[in-house]
Amino acid sequence: MGYLRRLPRFEYLAPRSVVAVCDALAEYPGEARLLAGGTDLILQMRRREVAPRYIIGLKGLSELAFIRPQENGGVTIGAMTTVRTIESSPLIRERYGLLCRTAAEMGSPEIRQSATIGGNLAGALPCADFPPALITLGAQVKLKSQQGERLLPLEEFFLGPEQTVVGPSDLVTEIQLPAPSPLSDGAYVKFHDRHAMDMTTTGVSAFVTLDQERRRFCDVKIALASSAPTPLRAKNAEAALRGQAFTEKAVEKAAALACQEAQPRSSWRASRDLRLELIKSLTKRAIRQAWEKAKAPPDGGRP
Amino acid sequence: MPRRARWPGREHRLAIETMQEHSIIGRPVPKKDAWLKATGEAKYADDHSLPGMLYGKLLRSPHPHARILHIDTSKAERLPGVRAVATGKDFPGIKYGNLPQTRDYLPLALEKVRYIGDEVAAVAAIDEDMAEEALDLIQVEYEILPAVFDPEEAMQPGAPQLHDHAPDNISSQSAFHFGDADRGFADSDLIQEDIFETQPVKQGMLEPHACIGLWDNTGKITLWASKQSPYVVWRQLAMGLGIEPGKIRLVQTYIGGGFSGGKQEAMPMDFCAVLLSKKSGRPVKFVHTMDEVLTIGHLRHPIKIWLKTGIKKDGTLLAQHCKIIANGGAYSSIGQLSMYIPGAMLNLPYRLPNVKYEAYRIYTNNGFCGAMRGHTLPQICFARDSQLDIIAAKLGVDPIEIRLKNAAQPGEVTPNGFRLTTFGFTECLQRVVEASQWREKHGKLPRYRGIGIGCGSLVSGARLMGHSSSTAEIKVQEDGTVLLVTGSTDVGQGADTVLSMIAAEVLGVQLDDVRFAMVDTDITPVDPGTFSSRVTFWTGNAVKLAAEDARRQLAEIAAQKLEANPEDLIFRDRQVYLRQQPQRGLSFGELVRLAEYRLGRIIMGKGSYTSGEELIDFRTGYGNMSPAYTPSACVVEVEVDPETGQVTVTGIWGAHDCGFPLNPMLVRGQVLGASVMCIGQALYENLIRTQGKVMNPSFRDYKMPLATDVPKLANVEHINIITRDPSGPFGAKEAGEGAATGVIAAVANAVYHATGVRIKSLPISPGKVLFGLKEMQGKGNKPANLVKG
Repeated sequence: MGYLRRLPRFEYLAPRSVVAVCDALAEYPGEARLLAGGTDLILQMRRREVAPRYIIGLKGLSELAFIRPQENGGVTIGAMTTVRTIESSPLIRERYGLLCRTAAEMGSPEIRQSATIGGNLAGALPCADFPPALITLGAQVKLKSQQGERLLPLEEFFLGPEQTVVGPSDLVTEIQLPAPSPLSDGAYVKFHDRHAMDMTTTGVSAFVTLDQERRRFCDVKIALASSAPTPLRAKNAEAALRGQAFTEKAVEKAAALACQEAQPRSSWRASRDLRLELIKSLTKRAIRQAWEKAKAPPDGGRP
Repeated sequence: MPRRARWPGREHRLAIETMQEHSIIGRPVPKKDAWLKATGEAKYADDHSLPGMLYGKLLRSPHPHARILHIDTSKAERLPGVRAVATGKDFPGIKYGNLPQTRDYLPLALEKVRYIGDEVAAVAAIDEDMAEEALDLIQVEYEILPAVFDPEEAMQPGAPQLHDHAPDNISSQSAFHFGDADRGFADSDLIQEDIFETQPVKQGMLEPHACIGLWDNTGKITLWASKQSPYVVWRQLAMGLGIEPGKIRLVQTYIGGGFSGGKQEAMPMDFCAVLLSKKSGRPVKFVHTMDEVLTIGHLRHPIKIWLKTGIKKDGTLLAQHCKIIANGGAYSSIGQLSMYIPGAMLNLPYRLPNVKYEAYRIYTNNGFCGAMRGHTLPQICFARDSQLDIIAAKLGVDPIEIRLKNAAQPGEVTPNGFRLTTFGFTECLQRVVEASQWREKHGKLPRYRGIGIGCGSLVSGARLMGHSSSTAEIKVQEDGTVLLVTGSTDVGQGADTVLSMIAAEVLGVQLDDVRFAMVDTDITPVDPGTFSSRVTFWTGNAVKLAAEDARRQLAEIAAQKLEANPEDLIFRDRQVYLRQQPQRGLSFGELVRLAEYRLGRIIMGKGSYTSGEELIDFRTGYGNMSPAYTPSACVVEVEVDPETGQVTVTGIWGAHDCGFPLNPMLVRGQVLGASVMCIGQALYENLIRTQGKVMNPSFRDYKMPLATDVPKLANVEHINIITRDPSGPFGAKEAGEGAATGVIAAVANAVYHATGVRIKSLPISPGKVLFGLKEMQGKGNKPANLVKG
């Protein structure tokens, strides 16, 4: 990591439409980087970790800054929607409390004002908070290029740290969320050294759907941040809970399975052992909180 | 709650007493420059610019240890927009620094680089982009040398050697023995030995270092810079340039935080700014980026502390033997003093007859260490007061009782010759116990909540070798206003306000009538600077003397006019009148005009203060370092999350003997700020270095506590213990550093009482707590507060 310096030289392109962005990407394959909120890219450029010849600024793409309800009861979020917009959207709050709460606890107000959902996904940092929350919500991502568009589950989007399926000529355009089922809700629980405004050491998102009697887990999705090279679905933990009644024993078992599935690494930020301990604690908390929220009547139980 | 009602009552009575006695002193007044700073109008060094100014940048070593074989600057010089380039060879090669035996700084490296970040070359260009681009064009050929990062490895035979003058990489050492430690241990019923370790910590001031240098055609040098101790910089700049200080003018700008984070010394940027100005004929500005600030140095020393304490069954301390090894980094800074202080103040605020001390400061290929708020005392207090709790538990004594039993008292002289004049430590303990409801909480809180105490002590300005005195000049102006000139700086602590309050009190004018000048070495009197909590005490005394001098001159004239004795005159509320006949008098402004217009006497007062001629004998460690000492006690309550190991400070109650709070609002601000800084060191902060490389050089990753990490104000209380020191101005002593010295130990002790986990290395990170808990559960132990006795 070098010293923070002035930005390197680059040519700034400011296309006004998705089509124009795709054209620019096709014109300069491998030489251009997309600039959304810039909270990660600008730092990388100032440290000279990347020095792209062209920067394609996406700020002018108002067509990608939206939160739109779908006829099927789902919601589509444009990739250039800021974290702050998601945090304060009544629609998101009403339908996806999990996403709203996750957004509200990311970074600082200044960062949330600038950072976008598309950037948070495409940056593919293992510690990013949106991916686990969105994965447990069953999100899909739409990519566009001159060749056309494709839609894929967010789970299949990440390949490694800062690596995704996004090709050099692809643009992430939107995130689609399915209609929330009744008696479902989730919780994203993360740990960092300080109490706020800090990078996530480890995070766990749990999204649960209860049966009609509100006794058993009808469906469970669990995804982890900073626990593997990519955001990770803890599928064994999920399977262990599915169809089970809510008991401390079941929660403990699921947490232990999540730890087995996780492959956290040791870094100067935290050791593997600490991360494993945290995954265990946070998985339990996330499941418990998700259960409580899902169980509560929709009008009274939500913030 | 009756408890809460009582103390404000007492404070209130004190306020009434104060008002009767003084008209300005003792009142909670906001800082004079608060408005300027809050509105962004205050001009910091980087806000200044001069016509034709160039921008400088420094090339830093990418290697922790290497020989410089060759530097080729020709390409950089040819880059359009570059006006000058400098390397170490442009300077006379004179090493500069603080104490004569530890001068090891060079303006730019000559033969070797000793840490990642060491300054190798500098450029001045028409803008910052050009200057940075030029850095890339400077080619430095290095021969990489083996490096050493751990001080104990660096002390081993055969370890890479950093400096020719320092065999075994010993940068400085200190050793002394007072009383008879062996006898003390022999007479002890319990001997406790522990090893504690502290981490590298940064000051975290929000304004990075910045300066503008100008070397004019006549050979006169001017440096505008953010400096907390401008005269140290003035002297060191002359030393490193090989010229007389009289050729240099240093002009202080507003300072965005000091804490001895480098603004107390001449830095490579200062040398390069003036030298590049000489080469280019233009003024040159340098501003560090925050990652440069966090990389280069002036850290709080990480120290390994071995502490052995002997104690009687009844809790009487008999002897302590302490050995410390400090990771000094690549250069000395003020390290010699850093090594003396922990031994000299190992005992305080306790009574300890026998002390043995050995300290080694070791050169390593890391960013260098120096002073930071509290200097090396927060580290040693963490060790000592943690160990005191270990001992108390073993003896079955309450942590408060053991402290009360050993509390040093006013009038005592410590074995190394510190004379305690006023010293309200016992009262500190009593008051903090009451405020924190210690007796209701200690051992009685629910699981994973705990309360702990830590204590400390500090000087009110150290009497050092070299120049130590402070001077003030007062010019009384014809409109009745007062111009106060000192060599001291306001680094945010409120010196501008408190010093002005002292002048206003003596002359009987309003605070707003006093204008406080910033340091300009062409105009202001020489001063050691802002460090070791000396400004209020030393410069405050000088200001009081200067104001009294001016008042004497005015009183003489007023006495003639009013046909009275000068001693019978009262100066108050911009009036001068007879004590017995207040109706006989004249306004302050009239009096000044009478003196200046009619009698032709310009009223200028002068005052200098020093604490006496006695010096510390650093070979024996004996001598009285400071004119007054302040004790403090702090209680911290924490909550520990047993599943994550996260510690949350939920309450902090402190008591501190500041002699007399000249401005209680500023005292509170200082105490809370210092306490939060130590909460940071206790729980969060750690400059992580891997093979000499700083891994977290940003405020995102170097984690200082935020508002969410400190207790709610309702659970924060600070109590001033009033002792009115006879030699302090209006009885005042130190207030900016001492109150926090016990905070780290208080946190560690509270974590212990919450969890049973004793953490002896800083920071008290979630991992250490969590694995400590697991280890205990493995042994089947219960948290301490569930164990009786």
